[in-house]
Parts: sequence; structure tokens; C-alpha cells
Amino acid sequence: MKYDPYEEIHGLDFSPSADVYRMPTGWVVKFDLAGVKPKDVRVEARGSVIRVVGVRRDQFVERGYRHHSMEISYSHFERTLHLPCVCEGATITTEYTDGLLIVTIEAGETGESNKRVR
Amino acid sequence: MSDEVILELPVFPLKNAVLFPYLGMPLAASRAVSISAIESAVATEEKEILVVAQRDATVQEPTRDGLFDVGTKAVIRRLAPVPTGGIQLFVQGVTRVRLHELTQEKPFLRAKFEPAPIALEEGAEVEALEREVKALGAKALSLAQPRAEIDIAQLVGDDGDRVRWLYVLASIMGLELSKAQELMATDNLADGLRLMHGYLQYEVQVLEVRSDIASKVQSEMTKQQREMLLRQQMRAIQDELGESDEQGAEVELLRERLDKAELPDDVRKEAERELKRLSRLPQASAETNVLRSYLELIVELPWNESSDALLDLEHARKVLDEDHLGLEDVKSRILEHLAVLKLNPDAKAPILLFVGPPGVGKTSLGKSIARAQDREFERMSLGGLHDEAELRGHRRTYIGAMPGRIIQALRRAKVNNPVLMLDEIDKLGRDFRGDPASAMLEILDPQQNDTFRDNYLDLPFDLSSVFFITTANTLDTIPRPLLDRMEVLSLTGYSEEEKLAIAKKYLLPRQLEQSGVTAEQCAIPDETLARVIRRYTREAGLRQLERVIGQIIRKVAVGFAKGSTEAITVSPDDLVEMLGPESFHLEKARKDLPPGVAAGLAWTPTGGDVLYIESILLPGGSGLTMTGQLGNVMQESARAAQSYLWAHSDEFEIDPERFRDTGVHLHVPAGAIPKDGPSAGITMATALASLYCGKPVRSDTAMTGEITITGLVLPIGGLKEKVLAARRADFKRIIAPRQNEVHLRDLPDDVREETEFIFVDHIDEVLRAAIPELCAVSKPAHKS
Repeated sequence: MKYDPYEEIHGLDFSPSADVYRMPTGWVVKFDLAGVKPKDVRVEARGSVIRVVGVRRDQFVERGYRHHSMEISYSHFERTLHLPCVCEGATITTEYTDGLLIVTIEAGETGESNKRVR
Repeated sequence: MSDEVILELPVFPLKNAVLFPYLGMPLAASRAVSISAIESAVATEEKEILVVAQRDATVQEPTRDGLFDVGTKAVIRRLAPVPTGGIQLFVQGVTRVRLHELTQEKPFLRAKFEPAPIALEEGAEVEALEREVKALGAKALSLAQPRAEIDIAQLVGDDGDRVRWLYVLASIMGLELSKAQELMATDNLADGLRLMHGYLQYEVQVLEVRSDIASKVQSEMTKQQREMLLRQQMRAIQDELGESDEQGAEVELLRERLDKAELPDDVRKEAERELKRLSRLPQASAETNVLRSYLELIVELPWNESSDALLDLEHARKVLDEDHLGLEDVKSRILEHLAVLKLNPDAKAPILLFVGPPGVGKTSLGKSIARAQDREFERMSLGGLHDEAELRGHRRTYIGAMPGRIIQALRRAKVNNPVLMLDEIDKLGRDFRGDPASAMLEILDPQQNDTFRDNYLDLPFDLSSVFFITTANTLDTIPRPLLDRMEVLSLTGYSEEEKLAIAKKYLLPRQLEQSGVTAEQCAIPDETLARVIRRYTREAGLRQLERVIGQIIRKVAVGFAKGSTEAITVSPDDLVEMLGPESFHLEKARKDLPPGVAAGLAWTPTGGDVLYIESILLPGGSGLTMTGQLGNVMQESARAAQSYLWAHSDEFEIDPERFRDTGVHLHVPAGAIPKDGPSAGITMATALASLYCGKPVRSDTAMTGEITITGLVLPIGGLKEKVLAARRADFKRIIAPRQNEVHLRDLPDDVREETEFIFVDHIDEVLRAAIPELCAVSKPAHKS
């Protein structure tokens, strides 16, 4: 069995802040995820729940800097939101700009469940 | 879990705590091993570290063996340096891990580990366990923090993660290290729940017992607290109304003292009632003061306090001997009483009456009786007391009412079994206000005084443990019923020898000390003391003697104060210079008495004395003239003597006509001192016989005895003092009534041996022994 760090940390991570916007066509959710590489984020939708999990890595350590103090949370994060709509089957697009992850949910036909977007 | 997921991370060794997965915990790192482990962990992208509890918190640099086998992988969330050195950090437990070997020990520990999350189980048993633990957990929490109303579900979040729930509960319960680590070490949920169940049960029991104790204490406190609270409120209201609170504070103070005092039930009831009245009275009321002093008295009286009387006979004997010389009767009576008390602790204390002349040590004897038994001593003088209320108190309705002296003395003594000395009971007065002697009847009756009721106190007080000692100079003025209640012990005057011994042992050292003169600087030999006793003092007691000794020492002290350093020995001849001429002329045995003079012996309160009876014929006169301040009894006894001689004139070859035709003048010096009593009877008979016959009385003979008209000699009192006086005046022969022979045993041995005693039944024997020349003529008239 492969060790899956995402499964292991369920419920233990720091939660990034999120804003939810209503659009005529659906919903936009904005996550505060500065310093996170897009490849380290995963967005899942199941029913009316949208879940964002991932890892924030401290890239500065590669430069050989050493912490004097630390307030930014690193490592795994997770955020689960209940939306007043059914995300399953909706069209979900993600965009990562200026440290913000923007998830757009547009109502559409019921598609495959548990859509994975990267 | 397979071997391929074995990972490696720096280790943070945790002291005295366990970090559970799912839970965050602030940590402080000050050890080098911890700090460098953290630095290493922070230097990775994911900030992960292993937090493993140390087995022994005192170890500074733990090895693998010093760490538990199961720990928690955690993420460092926050980090801040501490100004004083070290690092503060906040870690979030992530997952339970099993520790393998260390891969590094310096500068920090690194270890291989494998994630070992607790195995989840489903099923009825786990479900049941979980519900049970939840219920117990809720109970424990509500017991531990009844006010907080913590809801576990709320704390944990309702996401149904049982493992997380278990760990959160464990951390809320604040389990001790060993229990927490044991929980950490369980591999599956069911075991974890079982363990938790055990802990909770124990915890609930402890908490229940604790709350039990708390509620018991509380219910005891509640009543008092309620009263206190109400009183405080009352005070607040009074303050608000502008009523002074002084009285309230005072009532409060009294109440506190009342609560502390050990009072009998009925007394407490009465006191509480009066206290309530006091608290309702306005402060300006005249009765307030009365009530207050009354309550103070109740509080201060020793209702139940008694001192432990010391029943050590030897100690008592020692103390009594230390303080007083002689006085055997009294000492043995005290020891007898102590012996009785030892056998029967409830025995009633005796009521003793010490009777004797002033200065013989009655009062100080009382003090040393108290000391011998280690009791409190209180003394009061009844001399001149003429108001019954003084003893028994006034009723409280009178203004200025006070408790009686007895109750006051007990209040001072603070115990209910002191030695209470009532001085001068013979000098109790009596007038229209009442008769204190009658009040004494109740106080001094052991059958009645256990419920002595003072008018002021108006509550029965038990006096039966009080050791009463009364003193008197004479028994004559004490009412019979009162006398009847007391055990009379008479302290006669001291003989010269005793005085000398006492002076040497007590008076002289005391006076030396008071004057600051040492015994080496001032020696007063026995001859000097003896002369002081004879010539400068005349008393039964010792006060004058002590004063004169003090006077001598002060004269000596003047010399030292002027700078002299020479030690001084005071010889008898120095006394005239120091004290002036001798104060007392001692009636010495006169030599060659003329006919008509005989030596008698008298008893005075200051001891015995020699009394010469002088008589002369008055030719052509008639009757018997008597001078010298003679009392009625004495005058009658002179007439009796004369009549006897007249009646028996033929036996003594006296011309009966001399009785008829010639007057006689009888005088007793010293004329300024009143004299009375029958004991000079035989002396007067002897003097008159000698006068009528013209034959002198033997000059070495003194006599005492009452005479009847038929010539019988009756016994007299005070033989000891009389004999001592005769001896002091150098009489060698003493004539005394036969019935007084038994009293010889009271005399010191030397006196008994050196004096010739002639005990007589009839005046004939007296005359034959006293007037040698009469023997030839008189013929025995009576048959013995």
C-alpha cells in the first residue's frame, strides 16, 4: 500500500481563508493560498461540498536561509466548503493568480463525479 | 504498514507531556538537542518533526532508550525566539508513529519511524464502548467543571472521527504522563476506548468523592454563612439609614466570644437571649451598658475551665516547707486533702479557717498552699465588709450593679478551682443593709455552694471546686453557724526559737536583698537577733521583727554607701546605737519578792506574758480594791480567791478578823493594759495567801490556772505561749492545772526538759509549791 500523505492528514491541516462570490451563472470561490505551487493543490467536488487540499512548501529553505521566527503555516492544508449548490456535475475551472486560487463553478449537466482538476 | 514507508525525521524529546495526534500544543525549547532538532525541521519545506515523550524528565540528553516507542509526527506551525534564549513554538500533531532506531544523536536526535495510525474498528462492541466513554466523559467534565458546561461534542466537532474524539477527550482530562503514553501506545480504537473508560471511571470516582466532601463542608458552612451574610446586610442597611454600626460591631464581638467560650447549655441560652436584647437596644439606652457588662462577665467566667491541680504530695511538702517553718498541723492537713483528692478526684475542697495573731503568716500560707497544688490564688479581704451585696452582688436592676466579690475573684482567677482566700473573716461587719456573715453561710457550705447564685449573675455557678481558706485573728466574733462550716486550724504565735530560725532563714536574706547588701558585708549573729526579738519587738508574728532587721541593715548600708568597704558584724551592744533604747521592758523574774506578790502568766494575742500580781494590806480599810484595768472576770476571780482564803483561814493560820478589819489593794501592772480572763485565779489566791500570812512566794515560780470557790484548779488555754513567756523571763518552775498536762507535747523539747512543771488539781497544792514557808503551817485540806 502506498503511503498517501493526503489521506493521512485528513482534518489536521491549517485552513486557508476563502471568499465565496455569487455570479448569475454560478459561484466563484477565492482561496488565500500564497506561496503554494499550483501543482501542490487539488480541488475536489462532491455533492454540494467543495474541498481544497494541498501542501505549502517553504521554498526559501533551498536558498539556505534559516528561520528566526515563523508565522506562516506550512505543510498540508485543507479547506472544505458547503455551497448552496450542487457542484457535482458542474463545470469547475481553477485559476491561480497572485497567490490566490480562484475556483469557478458553473452549473451544467451532471458529469462524472469526483472531478479532479489540476 | 510496510517497511518501504519508513521515514526519517528530527526528534523533539518532550518532557512530562504527550502530544496526541490531531492536537496542537505550544512548546518551549531550551535544550541544545531540542533547538537544533527544531532548526533542522524548520529548514525543510514541510516543517515536520517527531515529538516523542521522554521516559525520565530529568534526563537532559536522552538516548533511544530514554524515549517511548510511540510518538507523534507533528508540523511546526509557529516559531518565535525567546529573548532570554530558547525558542517557543506551536506544533500540530499529525499522526501517530512508531519509533525505530536513531540515525543520529548529535547535535540532535534523528530517528527512523513508521506511521502507525490507530486502527479503526467498527462493530457493536466499539459502538457500546464509545457511548459509554462519551457518557462518562460528559459526567467527568461536568463534575470537574460544573460551571463551565463544556459540551464534548462541541469541543471535538461533530465530524464523527472517533480517534480524534478520543485524543481530545484525553487531553481535556489532563491525564498524567504514564496514562497518556499508555493511551498513545494502544494500536486499535477498542483498546484505546477501554483504557479511556478505565481512566474516566477512576476520575469520576475521585471527582465524586471530592464533590461529596465539598458539599458536606458546604452544608456545614451554609448555615453560618447565611447568618453572617444576613448580618452583613443588616449592617449595610443600618449604615444606609445612618444608624451607627458601633453597637453592631460590639454585639458581633460579644457573639464571637460567646461562641468560643465553653458555657453550660442553660447559661448559653440565657446569654443568647440577652445578646439578642442587646442587639435590639438603641445604643443610647442606659441598659445597653448594663447588658454589655453582664454579657462580658458571662463570657469571662470560668464555667468549665479548671486548672489541673497538682497532686504530688512530695512536691507539696517541699513547697510548704520552703515557705514556712513549723506549722505542722496546717501542713499535714493540706497533705491529707491532697491525698484524698488523689484517691477521689471529686472530693469537695475543704474550707479551712486559719486563726492566729497578726503576722504569723496566714496569708502567705494560703499563697503557698496554692503554689503547692499549682492552683490559681485569689485573695480578698472581708475586713470592714458590711454589705451583703458586696459578697453576693446587686441585682442588675440597680444602677451601677456589680457582681459580688466571689464572682469577681473567680473572673480574675479564670479557673473554677482556685485557692480563694477570704481574709479577716472575723472582721465582717453587719448593719441595716444586711449581714454578710449570713451570705457567707451559703458560700462556705459544700452542700449548697455548687449552685451559688450571685444576684447580679442570676445564674447558678458551681463553687464546689474552689479551695476556700479564711483567716481570722480571733474566733470570738465569728458567728457560730459560720464557724461550724469551717475547719479551724490555729496558727499560734512563734516562740523565740522559731522566730530566730525564721529570721535567719527568711527575713534576714530578704531584707539583705532589698537593701542590696550582701551577707558577707553584713553579718548579724544569733545573739543580736535574739536581743532584737526580745527587746525591740513584742509580737506573735514577725512583721515588726522584719522591719527592725531592715532598719539595722539600712544603717549598715549607709556605711557602705559612704565608701566603707569593711565587712560589719552587728553585735548585740551595737543595737542601742542603731535602734535607740530598747523598746520593751521585759518582765524579768523579780528577785526576793515581798509578801503579797506572785508571778502569773497571761496569754495575749501577741504571745504569752509574765504578769505580777501585787497586793498590799490597808490597815483600817475594808474590802478589796482592784486596779490595773481588770476586767469583770478577773475581778470575780480575785474575789473568789479571797473568799476561799477567808473560808479556809484556819488552815493557813490566818486571823479571820484580818479579812474583816483590813482592806486589801490588789494591783496588776502594767496599768495601761486592759486585762481579763480567769486564768490568773490561782496567782491571785497565792498572792493574797502570801499577803495575809506575811510569807513571800518563791521568786523562781510562775503560775496559771482558774480557781473555783471550793479551791479546785481548772484548766486554762494558751499554755504553750505562757510557758514560753515564763521561760523568756527565766522562771524555772511553772505551776499549771493538771488537765493541761497533755499540752506539754506542743512545747519544744529543750523547754520541756529545762523547766520544772508542777501540775495541780487543788489550790492547796499550789500554795504549798509556791510559798515554801506555808508548808509548815498548812495541813492538807483535801483528799486527792
